[in-house]
Amino acid sequence: MAKRITIDPITRIEGHLRIDVEVDNNAVSNAWASCTMWRGIEKILRGRDPRDAWLFTQRFCGVCTTVHAMASVRAVEDALKLEIPLNAQYIRNLILIAHALHDHIVHFYQLSALDWVDILQIPKADPTATAKLAESLSPWTRNSRNEFKAAQDRVNAVASSGQLGIFMNGYWGHPAMRLSPEVNLLAFTHYVQALEYQRKALQVVGILGSKTPHIQNLTVGGVANAIDLDSPSALGMAGLENIRVLLDEVVRFINEVYVVDVCAVAAMYADWFKIGSGVRNYLAVPDLPLDSAGTAYDLPGGYIMNGNIAGVHPFKTASDKEFRDGVSEDVTHAYYQGAKPLHPWVGETEPAFTGWDGEQKYSWVKAPRFKGDPMQVGPLAQVLVGYAQGHPLTRKYTDLAIGKIQTVAGIHVTPDMLHSTLGRHAARAIRAAMLAELAQKHWQLLADNIAKGDYTVHNQPVFSGSEVEGVGTHEAPRGTLSHWIVIKDEKIKNYQAVVPSTWNASPRDRAGNHGPYEASLLHTPLARPEEPLEVLRTVHSFDPCMACACHAFDPSGRQIAKVKVL
Amino acid sequence: MKKVLIGGIGNVLLGDDGVGPYVVRLLAARYEFDDGVEVADLGTPALDLIDQISAKDAVILIDSIDTEAAAGALVLYRKSDIVRHCPAVRMDPHSPALVDTLLGADFFGVAPTDVLLVGIQAESYEAGCSLSQPVKASVDQAIAEVLRELDHLGVEYRRQEHPAEVDTWWIPEEQAESALAT
Repeated sequence: MAKRITIDPITRIEGHLRIDVEVDNNAVSNAWASCTMWRGIEKILRGRDPRDAWLFTQRFCGVCTTVHAMASVRAVEDALKLEIPLNAQYIRNLILIAHALHDHIVHFYQLSALDWVDILQIPKADPTATAKLAESLSPWTRNSRNEFKAAQDRVNAVASSGQLGIFMNGYWGHPAMRLSPEVNLLAFTHYVQALEYQRKALQVVGILGSKTPHIQNLTVGGVANAIDLDSPSALGMAGLENIRVLLDEVVRFINEVYVVDVCAVAAMYADWFKIGSGVRNYLAVPDLPLDSAGTAYDLPGGYIMNGNIAGVHPFKTASDKEFRDGVSEDVTHAYYQGAKPLHPWVGETEPAFTGWDGEQKYSWVKAPRFKGDPMQVGPLAQVLVGYAQGHPLTRKYTDLAIGKIQTVAGIHVTPDMLHSTLGRHAARAIRAAMLAELAQKHWQLLADNIAKGDYTVHNQPVFSGSEVEGVGTHEAPRGTLSHWIVIKDEKIKNYQAVVPSTWNASPRDRAGNHGPYEASLLHTPLARPEEPLEVLRTVHSFDPCMACACHAFDPSGRQIAKVKVL
Repeated sequence: MKKVLIGGIGNVLLGDDGVGPYVVRLLAARYEFDDGVEVADLGTPALDLIDQISAKDAVILIDSIDTEAAAGALVLYRKSDIVRHCPAVRMDPHSPALVDTLLGADFFGVAPTDVLLVGIQAESYEAGCSLSQPVKASVDQAIAEVLRELDHLGVEYRRQEHPAEVDTWWIPEEQAESALAT
């Protein structure tokens, strides 16, 4: 008989994502993804000055602050047909890259590595053998026996105290955990080191954006950074040099640690290249513009339908007509009023809460669709869309990662295997390596442009009274983000944000098509249904972020995740 | 000199959840602090909160709370009160929240010695940029608790001779607080 399992880490206030799966013969036979909290934040923006919108959108989410700020100014600029000075493009690009590198490092190590790494195996590892293994995989200088021993000692101290602290809630000793003690120690040591390198990436955001977590330097039409080579308070030689040094360290960590670890873990769990594919329609927008008008980009965009990589459709610009016209949101299974799918410019956000009903309405997330179809977004979409177009940088790092996995696993790996749970992790590491190279490129572009004597950072926005529409996109760490704005009389008439996790966490639509999380869970084998580690592995591979954080502290203990078996 | 973080936590777009950022911005406008004190609107942080609290001697956080208490009630928590609860299974990057942050800081050896959470019971988390009346009425008391903790830590502060404008940019102008209030 089928069993129903609910994973609900969620409290009344703090919760966001809930997953329900039906399990039959130890495999998932049906799945529902839902968000348990209403946002409706967009309504706050109506009637406000479009120039201030980014300050508000930056508060949508405490993890993705900068990305919502960026998409917002781009939406207003698109509506006003406003070009951006080169310096502003480069500074924005550097902020976006640094934020993404921080985010990808944190996602792999702090938020998902422990789905694959078993803490309780670490005390059994031999640090000397671990160092030998590590040296065979990477030139990383912090792969010494002493580093591994120190990390092992920390785990031993925690384990022997009987207080697992931050690790108390993992599925340790689960039969789906399969790494050797040495590989567990290796990955865990990098989990500890990762904390330092994600911080360095965030420092770059802080230097350019004046502050983190909320950057201060954006403005519609460009950036507010004063450029002066000699002034210590403006962006000059000293600031640029700081950024270069920080980026170099982060880049080395990405190439010598993150990419290597993902490939090694993937090689040892190679069966997960066959699990978790789900929706094989992929969507990505071009990003990292290289000119003022936004006609050339360092990251390509486009879409792929039904896994047909050869049939990729490229997007020419970040607000390509096909994209602008193709997006709609369906609320058949979401707690909103409305009958037919609506384009975001005429989108509505009127709640109609009914309580969870898997046959009817069950989520606060709308179901975004592209030309009527569900789309998977995120690093995998971006890598596949780029790879399909023969984009050299995407090919370079994808082929490199595939080669590494083949060497360690001793199996033949093809790009088609990326349609999977592990494929999402591999693609995120590939994307990080691409962004690492682009970080250095855009730093050089900025430094060279300033050296030419161009200090321009801002073009003045000009509003007309008439009604105009715009879309601002960003290929964010979790995928395609789009902010849709309608402006009239210098005020916001309508505003909708279609965020990456809305695409991926979407509920079913009117045609009954599953969203990407839901589809990816179907057929997943579960070794112990009451400890659904395998479900978490696949959901985590998307890097979910429900972007509606309300962080009240709940002292009653309701923060404890519930895994309910019905 | 003691290194102290006074951090406001919460989402300024979700009603009373914005009380943490609101309180720290009032504090910054009304008072001057020792050089070692950092006053910050932290928004809704995830794991980066570890970076914010690491290498501090003391951390004072102001956040809305969700308890059975009456709206506007103040409840003070020490670290042991907060970490009594085991961390959640992580579904998304927000899950680490406060419990995980403090336990993580312990594990990485960067935990502050003193932790105080000044909790203010919320009335409403509906989308919107204003505080409810009961929560607003408790703001000065929350500020007093922060200052009392600074006294306890032996950290100096004084009233600004010329109070700065309060930078609560998200609040509609007619509802904005004056820094001159008590």
